[in-house]
Amino acid sequence: MNKLFRTIFKFGPALLLLIASAAAAMGQSAKLQLDQLDVLANRASDTVDVKLDEHLMQTTAKFFSGKDSDDAEIRDLIKNVKGIYVKSFSFEKENEYSAAEIESVMSQLRGGGWSKIIGITSKKDGDNVEVYLLNIGDQISGLAVVSAEPKEFTIVNVVGPIDLEKLSKLEGSFGVPYLNLPPAKPKTDKEVK
Amino acid sequence: MKKVLVTLGLFVSLAMALPSPVRADRDGFSDAVKTIEQFYHVKHQNIPLLARAGVKAVKTAAKIRGGEYRKLAEAGSVRVAFFEDQKFDSHGQIASFKSAMQTTLAADWSALVQTLAPKTEEQTYVYIRDAGKDFHVLIITIEKTEGTVVQATVAPQILAELLKSPDEMGKALTDEATTSDP
Repeated sequence: MNKLFRTIFKFGPALLLLIASAAAAMGQSAKLQLDQLDVLANRASDTVDVKLDEHLMQTTAKFFSGKDSDDAEIRDLIKNVKGIYVKSFSFEKENEYSAAEIESVMSQLRGGGWSKIIGITSKKDGDNVEVYLLNIGDQISGLAVVSAEPKEFTIVNVVGPIDLEKLSKLEGSFGVPYLNLPPAKPKTDKEVK
Repeated sequence: MKKVLVTLGLFVSLAMALPSPVRADRDGFSDAVKTIEQFYHVKHQNIPLLARAGVKAVKTAAKIRGGEYRKLAEAGSVRVAFFEDQKFDSHGQIASFKSAMQTTLAADWSALVQTLAPKTEEQTYVYIRDAGKDFHVLIITIEKTEGTVVQATVAPQILAELLKSPDEMGKALTDEATTSDP
């Protein structure tokens, strides 16, 4: 038994490292790590954090009746969605959060197969909205909307396939704020890659 | 023999350390109340003052997102703890309270909605867990001088309705639990 423990202690760290590396190599996770943003909560005047995981979405999706047309549309939209995650921070004054503080999230969107499909910058208001997609093969497997305004930072992360054309149907529901996004463009080969 | 005992002890310690769902069912309601009391140094009352004042005969139902009024919680499933006339001040560390509550409930409950407003100390936390065919919903509401912890069992149909507007969910259920006779 002692020998077994010695072997585990000897090779355990290397084994853990190997497992972690394999997981990172598989990468391409549509679920973003957003908990690092929680440090903003102490400074924000309002914070909203919504987490709808796959189990909850799939358990309740079937209860959106087909009788109501809105419900039927929502049911179709979310039937394959594996999660909706929203974090929103509002501040009393401008520039109360820094680019460095949101970098942990933005860096995830710059790699791991994410591609920016929409970027809107308003020099006048300082608003900046970006929409990112994660495509695996021909299918959208994740979406992220980042809205960075001088007094507000919001990120919406939808995990799983979602119809971009119908994304606006989620606005105001499931904790997704009104994003006023332009209509989705048809997918091009470049965007799919 | 000694080695065997040491090994057994090690395994038991490891098993205890794991945040496993197979451990005995925890009481999220009491744990949440205790976490509030420890962090804010406040004391709760179990019996609703409104009920004591004789309002309990009034039957109300919550209104979900501009729709019709309906009963949300399953009959007899509601537990309520009140914190009244107390001082809730996190001294600028509201995020620490959030993470303390998360640590308390994470093993059995999923955080659904958390809203914080440090200036007014206003906070709402909605946690969910499976309860057979239904769901248990735990709602923690805190303001500057009062707080409420509500646990209720909710049917999946009702939960689906509430999920359309999760930020209003906590208020709808808390309103029902604190103004009706559950």
